Amino acid sequence: MSGRREAEPASGDAPVRLYHVSKSYLAGTWALHDITLEIAKGEFVFLTGPSGAGKTTLMRLVLAAERPSDGQALILGRNVGRARRSAIPPLRRRIGVVFQDFKLLPRRTVEENVRVALDVMGTPVREARARAFAILKQVGLQHRRHHHPLSLSGGEQQRVAIARALVNEPELLLADEPTGNLDPDLTMEILDLISGAAARGTTVIVATHDQTILRRYRRRTLRLEAGRLVEDTPAVGVRA
Amino acid sequence: MSLARALRAPAARAVYFVRTAIGGLRASPVTSAVAVGTIAVTLVLAGAFGLLVKNMQGFLDRLASDVTVTAYLDDTLTDQERGDVAAYAAALEGVQGVVLVSKEEALQRFERGSEGRAALLEALGENPLPASLEVALVPERRTTEGVRGVMDALSGWPGISDVANAQDWVQGYAGALSLLRAVGIGLGVVLALATLLIVANTIRLAVYARRDEIDILALVGASRTFVAIPFLLEGALQGALGGAVAVGGLAALYRLALPTLASGLALVLGDQPAGFFDGTEIALLIGVGAALGVLGSAASLAGGLSE
Repeated sequence: MSGRREAEPASGDAPVRLYHVSKSYLAGTWALHDITLEIAKGEFVFLTGPSGAGKTTLMRLVLAAERPSDGQALILGRNVGRARRSAIPPLRRRIGVVFQDFKLLPRRTVEENVRVALDVMGTPVREARARAFAILKQVGLQHRRHHHPLSLSGGEQQRVAIARALVNEPELLLADEPTGNLDPDLTMEILDLISGAAARGTTVIVATHDQTILRRYRRRTLRLEAGRLVEDTPAVGVRA
Repeated sequence: MSLARALRAPAARAVYFVRTAIGGLRASPVTSAVAVGTIAVTLVLAGAFGLLVKNMQGFLDRLASDVTVTAYLDDTLTDQERGDVAAYAAALEGVQGVVLVSKEEALQRFERGSEGRAALLEALGENPLPASLEVALVPERRTTEGVRGVMDALSGWPGISDVANAQDWVQGYAGALSLLRAVGIGLGVVLALATLLIVANTIRLAVYARRDEIDILALVGASRTFVAIPFLLEGALQGALGGAVAVGGLAALYRLALPTLASGLALVLGDQPAGFFDGTEIALLIGVGAALGVLGSAASLAGGLSE
C-alpha cells in the first residue's frame, strides 16, 4: 500500500476541478448553481450543508453519475460533461464510493462483496481473494469474510463497504453520509478508517451534516446552501 | 508484456462471467426450468420434423439413383414368349441389363416388404401379381429423356401390359418432401419466436430481480457489456440445456415409438430403416438451443441496463 503523503497544492493535476458548474433537473430549478472549486491530490475535504443543499448531487456529479447542465467538471483529468458513455466505467474504477445505506449485495458473502470491485478489473481469483483478505484485515473483518451482509451490524456493513471502496487503491474516495445510520462510537471508527485512506494519499470527499465530525476532524470544509457554494473553510491546524 | 500476463484479465473475467451465469440459473430455478422446458419442447417438435425429413431425403436420394423401368407382362405369356420379350427389351438402345421377375418371386418380395398384408393376397386364392421385367439403364441414359425413350419403346409391345418407372413417383415424393420441409420450417419459425419471447421474459425477470446488483456494479466501474455478458451466458446455458433435453426426448421417442410406427413409416421410407441424428446433427440441435437462448437474452437486454 502507498505511504503517507501530504496534500499537494491545487494544480492542473487536481483530481477534482469544477468550473461554474450548474445542474438542473427541471426548468428553473437548480440543484447546483455556479459551483467553482478545486480539490488537490491527497486532500481530505468535508462537504456539508442542510438537507437538499445539493451535497448528493455534487457527489453524483463527481462520480459521473450526473452530467453538469452548465460549466465544466474535470474529474481525474476527464471532462465528465463531454465524456463518452464508454469512458465512464474506466473512470469509476479509479474512484471508491461509500454510501449511507452501504449498498452491499445481500446474496454474496462479505469477501465476494469486496471482490466485486476487483472482478470488474479482471483481477485473477487468487489475487482477488488475497487482496480482499488484506483489506478486510485492515478494517478488522477478515474473520467475517464468509458471512453474508445481513448477518453483520450496521457498523460492520459500513466497514465492508469501505473495504470494497479501498480494495482497488483508488485515487479518489467519495463517502456520502457514511455515518448517517450509525451511532457516535461507530461514526468515529468509520471516519478513522476513511482518514487512514487520506493519510495514504487518496483524495477524500466526505459529505456529512454531522457537526461533531466537522469539529473533531477540522479539515477543509465546503458548505452548500440551496445549491450554491457559500463557504470554503480551510483545514485548521491539521497535520498531513 | 507476455501473452500469459495479457490473458490474465480476460481469463479472470471469463471465469467471473461463467460463475455469475450459473449463479443466476441457481437463483431462479423455476423460471429457468420454464425457459429450458420451452426450448426443449420447441426443439423436440422441430427435431421430429427434421428427423422425418432427413430419413425421407435419404430414401429419395437412394431412389433417384436407382433408375429402372418396370415392364409388367401378361399372365397369358408362355416361358418362351416371356424370354422373347426380355430379349427385345435388352436390345433397346440405352439398356444396360434386364432381369425377369416371375410371379412367384414377385409374391415373395411383397411378403417380405409388407408384414401382415400377405394374408390379403391369400384371401384371393391365386397369386394376382404379374411377372415383370426390370430394365436397368446405362449411366448416360439415366435422364428423363432416356427413361422416356425406353418406356415409349416398351409400351404397347405385345405381351407387355403396363410400363412403369419410379421417376414420376420420385418427383411426387420429392414434392411431398418439399411441402413437409416447408411446413416444418414454418412451424419451427413460429415456435422459435414463441420461445424467444419466453426466454426474453425470463431474463428480464432476472434483470429486475438483480436491479440493485446491476446498479452497484455500475457504480464500481462495470461497463454495460460486463453486466450484460452473464445474462447472455445464462440464456445460452438455458438454451443448451433445453437442446440436450430435446435430444434425450427425441431419442426416447425414437426408441419407444419406432416399433409402433414401423408400418406407417414403411409407406414413406419403404424398406429403409429409420435412422436417428448423427453426432454433428445432435451438436447442431444443442447449438440451435443455445442460439435461441442467447437471442432471447439479447432481446430482453436491448431495452437497456442502468448505467
